[in-house]
Amino acid sequence: MKIDQNEEAVVIVGSGAGGGTLAYELTKKGIPVVVLEAGPYLRNEDYVNNEWEAFNQMAWLDPRTTSGSWRITTDFPNLPTWIVKAVGGTTTHWSGATPRFKEHEFKARSTYGRVEGANLLDWPITKEDLDPYYERAEIAMGSTHTHGRKPLPANNNYKVFANGAERIGYKHYATGPYATNAEEYDGRPASIQDGFNFQGDKNKSKWSTLVREIPRAEDTGLLDLRSDCQVVQITHDASGRADSVLYLDDEGNLHRQAAKLVAVAGNSIETPRLLLMSATAMFPDGLANSSGQVGRNYMRHTTGSVFSRFDKPVRMYRGETMAGVIADESIHNPDRGFVGGYYLETISLGPAFLASFADPGAWGADFAEIMNAYLNTAGLWVIGEDMPQESNRITLNSAVTDKNGLPVPNVNFDDHANDVAMRDHGYQQAEKLYNSVGAVGSHRAPPYPSTHNLGTSRMSARPEDGVVDQWGRTHDIPNLFVSDGSVFTTGAAANPTLTIVALAIRQAEYIADQLKTGGI
Amino acid sequence: MTFPAKYPQLNEMELTDDAHDVLIRLLRVAFPHPDFPDGPYERTATRILNEARESTWFRVALTQGILTLGQLAGGDFRNLDDDAATSVLRRIEATAFFGFIRRTTVLNLYDDPEVWEVLGYEGPSFDKGGYINRGFNDLDWLPEPRIELYDGEPLPDIAPNAVLASTGKSPTGGQQTDTSNQPGSQETVMRKVSK
Repeated sequence: MKIDQNEEAVVIVGSGAGGGTLAYELTKKGIPVVVLEAGPYLRNEDYVNNEWEAFNQMAWLDPRTTSGSWRITTDFPNLPTWIVKAVGGTTTHWSGATPRFKEHEFKARSTYGRVEGANLLDWPITKEDLDPYYERAEIAMGSTHTHGRKPLPANNNYKVFANGAERIGYKHYATGPYATNAEEYDGRPASIQDGFNFQGDKNKSKWSTLVREIPRAEDTGLLDLRSDCQVVQITHDASGRADSVLYLDDEGNLHRQAAKLVAVAGNSIETPRLLLMSATAMFPDGLANSSGQVGRNYMRHTTGSVFSRFDKPVRMYRGETMAGVIADESIHNPDRGFVGGYYLETISLGPAFLASFADPGAWGADFAEIMNAYLNTAGLWVIGEDMPQESNRITLNSAVTDKNGLPVPNVNFDDHANDVAMRDHGYQQAEKLYNSVGAVGSHRAPPYPSTHNLGTSRMSARPEDGVVDQWGRTHDIPNLFVSDGSVFTTGAAANPTLTIVALAIRQAEYIADQLKTGGI
Repeated sequence: MTFPAKYPQLNEMELTDDAHDVLIRLLRVAFPHPDFPDGPYERTATRILNEARESTWFRVALTQGILTLGQLAGGDFRNLDDDAATSVLRRIEATAFFGFIRRTTVLNLYDDPEVWEVLGYEGPSFDKGGYINRGFNDLDWLPEPRIELYDGEPLPDIAPNAVLASTGKSPTGGQQTDTSNQPGSQETVMRKVSK
């Protein structure tokens, strides 16, 4: 449906896990929405089974700058994140692991206590609040190992991973939960184990808002999806309520869409950037920023990979990339020397990406050895909770502008000592795991450009502690919402997509109710 | 494009066959894969030269870098054995010249189907039906692992001995700890926020 630009509409910025889900849930309830997506409308058949070609096709490549002591400032100074700019957002290249948060991960501050340098805070919601929405998200996404969904079979990389897990005493390993079909489900086919996830799934077996929420929202006849439209400002009226968004189309023409409600879901770099770029005399520090927390507490999960070599073939690239999850280390056990927990998950890169990400900057015989062992290599990813820090922060870099003349976001990041201790523990356990099944050598790869970007518009009970309330509604502006991983108060150990979707389903109920009762 | 005409030798190096040969030798030393055929190295060298043609700065860096290689080699870089050539590259690895070559090589050499074949990577698979019937699970040197969730004792969220900040007690009701020097458990620790 076409919504007039002068009609005060419900406007959603972004079409990924948060925005795409919110759009579907609202249109399903009979509420028309405008979705403004910065990227193009790529379809599954457009995807390419080649790492760099797909990267250039899908990735968010607009210029960004970086600062801080993280290694990204050296290796990929203009590529702090590895996310997607297209309809469906980053759900079109995610791997698919869907663990739920644990109860105490919503209460990080009162569980872990005061951690020096960390800006920990309890969420204003509990796991009990979110559990019904986790159920609905798992059913929507078809998470394996839940609600009767079959597990995926063991692929080669998983065989090494799971056998190693068993031998070092881990119990809680499985091929999921993982939101890719092991058998036909929800009108989409079973995985053909083609090994391409980060490049988009041509087979539509993997859940994304591109294959589920967006087409279903279109089917309601209430969605006005505008791709290649990048929102550059949210405007407000004299009373301080959001009243429109300004956006650029692919030719750089500026448009205005009137709005009665704006929900921002641009991922945790662009969301705070948009709020900061919308500063006015009434809101000189940016919209919804009376707390000063917009852009702060940026989290990226504590990650790292271990690639181990064996004397026999593994062929890790065959099959679902991340259909292997070990949860044993996801518990909170401060005896390990850090608070919070982490998962170990299978991961595989092709030679092109392995060469770029295994040890950026490396060359020579040691580097060649990593590559030469490709056939016999197994890989896993450490992913755990990182500490929110106020100084880990998205700001506007007014010295560098994008092609539209707008300030690019700068991403400043330093590891917290807790992050470093956790990563080292993860590396050690991973090597122990692989050694137990005969690894002849291992390589520790540093964190990739961030795929999980969280926390820059965090939820808080009190307006002075954060940007949005428990519904994702900004404390300062009653008709402005945030609907993506930016709202995470703390990061938890789990991959974030399931939680973003659950929060968006919950938020949709609230928004629909508020629209009906005149609460907005 | 502007040319550094002040230094005629730079223009003379206008990407000759010589430069191509020196680059191939450099790539073989820096990215030593004895099993790789010549094709991928030649294509990568060509790619580097093409990219240098696009950018004055890279062209200058490349031209000067190749001259430097000769100087450090005390003649022709191509005449050095592997160890001596590696030493020369270690001396220049921090230069823009080497960084440009390394980046371009990493992006292109390993994205070459001939290299994939040597490494044992099969490239695009969707058009072949994926690996569901082509060996996604053909690893046979380890036992078949469990794929279901563990059906024994559930995983606790928190280790039994961990002390919780909110209560000062462990989940199993362990000892009270002294928290008198800590702020209240639910209070956020805020510093002054500079805007």
